[in-house]
Amino acid sequence: MQLDFVNRELTIKLVYYGPALSGKTTNLQALHKVAAPGSSGRLMTLETKDDRTLFFDLLPLTFRAQSGLAVRLKVFTVPGQVIHASTRRLVLQGADGVAFIADSRTSETQANTDSFMDLKDNLREHGLSLRQMPLVIQFNKRDLRDVRSEEEIAKLAAQGREPVYLAVAMRGQGVVESFIGLLHLTWSALDAEHDLARKFGFDSEGFMNGIAEKLGERRGTAELLSACVGGALDVLRPEAVP
Amino acid sequence: MASPAPRDRMTELTVGAGARLEELVDRESLAQLAKSFAELSGVGMRVFDSEGKLLADASLPVELISYLTTLRHAKNAVESTVSAVKNLDPGAAGQASIDGVSGGRYRVVALEHDGRRVGRLVLGPYFPPSLVDIPSALIELEPALDLDRARGLLTLAPRVTDDAMDRLGRHARSALDVVMFSGLKALLTGSMHLASVRESYRELQSKNDKLQVAYDRLKELDRLKSNFLATVSHELRTPLTSIIGYSEMLLEGIAGEIAGEQREFVTTIREKGEQLLGLIKGLLDLSKLESGTMSLRKGTLEVASLVRDVAQTMAPHAKKKGILLLAEVEAGLPTLWADGERLRQVLLNLVENAIKFTPASGSVRITAKLASLGGPSGATDDGGLVLLGAKRTGVELRVADTGIGIPEAERERVFDAFYQVDSSSTREQGGTGLGLSIVKRLVEGHDGTVRIESNEPHGTVFVVAIPLRRSTLQP
Repeated sequence: MQLDFVNRELTIKLVYYGPALSGKTTNLQALHKVAAPGSSGRLMTLETKDDRTLFFDLLPLTFRAQSGLAVRLKVFTVPGQVIHASTRRLVLQGADGVAFIADSRTSETQANTDSFMDLKDNLREHGLSLRQMPLVIQFNKRDLRDVRSEEEIAKLAAQGREPVYLAVAMRGQGVVESFIGLLHLTWSALDAEHDLARKFGFDSEGFMNGIAEKLGERRGTAELLSACVGGALDVLRPEAVP
Repeated sequence: MASPAPRDRMTELTVGAGARLEELVDRESLAQLAKSFAELSGVGMRVFDSEGKLLADASLPVELISYLTTLRHAKNAVESTVSAVKNLDPGAAGQASIDGVSGGRYRVVALEHDGRRVGRLVLGPYFPPSLVDIPSALIELEPALDLDRARGLLTLAPRVTDDAMDRLGRHARSALDVVMFSGLKALLTGSMHLASVRESYRELQSKNDKLQVAYDRLKELDRLKSNFLATVSHELRTPLTSIIGYSEMLLEGIAGEIAGEQREFVTTIREKGEQLLGLIKGLLDLSKLESGTMSLRKGTLEVASLVRDVAQTMAPHAKKKGILLLAEVEAGLPTLWADGERLRQVLLNLVENAIKFTPASGSVRITAKLASLGGPSGATDDGGLVLLGAKRTGVELRVADTGIGIPEAERERVFDAFYQVDSSSTREQGGTGLGLSIVKRLVEGHDGTVRIESNEPHGTVFVVAIPLRRSTLQP
């Protein structure tokens, strides 16, 4: 997070992590497509000849709250290929929240696990633990055959800590839900740590609703958040737990 | 000014303060863009960064204004318009206009990148078509104005409507937006490349450091092993000397006559004791050689007498096994500058080995001759051959047998301590596997080389080459 008091600007870094070809870039493209003109900048893709992400994709989203505070969201992807280990670590640096995009196909289960362990290792390199990091998990490519069953995912998700979303990023399904889930967790964590809402007279709920609206959603934040299976969306706000 | 580390630069560019206009666009290209805009629209363009620094200037001369600058009062007014333009903030709308004393108008367009103001475009001067005559304010201001001339020049000035200017401004801005986006992309790619390379380098460096630590530890262990070997060999030799000494005394009858089987047993004890002593001496030699504490006592050495001595020593052994031992020394060999005792040990060892591995009715041949040895080792392909590859002359000692031979792949390794080509043959042939490693080290101590060749049709040739001292080459 970067806070510019003079210009009343807050920059939040969100990172989409996951194995190669799991749909991280597709998620960003889908978000870019639904974002209202003026609220999102150009999607920047640094890619190789084979259309794979070389360094990262970067989607800037800007929202101005009624209090006058501008919130700039910078959404990054990391390159999934194993060889880009050092790049992944660099992109992850300074992340405020992570969305882990998993490939739902049973054949990719191991790749998901490896990538998740890689995330854990890289966070540790930056002196962070998974426990501290706002995290959502998205099971993408639900439309393909031979995917892990919803029952299985729901059962495991119910035991887990982080919210899990099902998605078909190619068709835009589940993309906004995952993003709002991630932003909600991240904002809650940053707010709890830095007391942002009070300092800036900021209406967190209105802000979240505003963003959902800018992303072409008619549903309110609460409804979007409820799209997840398992996990706890309040886990980072202990005071909200009765 | 020190530039920030690439990873910090990346953070600055993506989530931090962002890039400056100057970093995003190439100055040269920006000048061309401005020039082409001016040519297309007939209106000049200048580009300033957020601090008001002029980055590109494609202003077109307007003769009316040039004329006004020759007049005293009008000149001041023109200058104050220019400075007002420089300080004009386009505001939230992103575009603003200012009128000059001549009726010419300037348009200032904000340049934004990633939601931040990075610079301004100044377009103009242009004259709205609604302006039909020289403004009366100018006539009042400048008494020296030649009105006919000014009117004539006004007809030549560029005419653009405000509406068209809006569109031109938007177009210029969006063209620059594309340029800035590409610029940022290139800038990020570059910073990211640099940062990844640094990161990879850091990773490799830390791995290297770990390897170095492991290597140092192994080296230390090797030194400890050599020390251990030296100490143990020394401690083993002391009681063994007593065993051999006392068994010799027994054999000499000092402790009373011994007969028959008793003598046979004591002889065996003494022989085995000496065998053991030889082995321990070998270990001691090796450890001395490894620790570099063995000193060679070099002197002049007649090769012929060395060969003769070894042949004579080994002849009974060869005869017992039914092997023909031949020695051949080229006439007129120069003397060597070497440690005679150690070279004798080398030759003895090789001949002993040769006899050991040659079956009955085979032959072992020792030859000594003058040979050119090639350059010192390591001077083969690395360049500087003309300097390093000068042929050296030396004496070549060859020990050829007709034994079981050594496979090509094993030839380097037989010189390792404790190495046996066929460990199952150890029992059959005896030996510790120390001899050849000592041979190699002793030969190297003489600046020489030892290698293995095949003896056709079967068998092995050990070739020891000892270079002559330079002084011995000179008459």
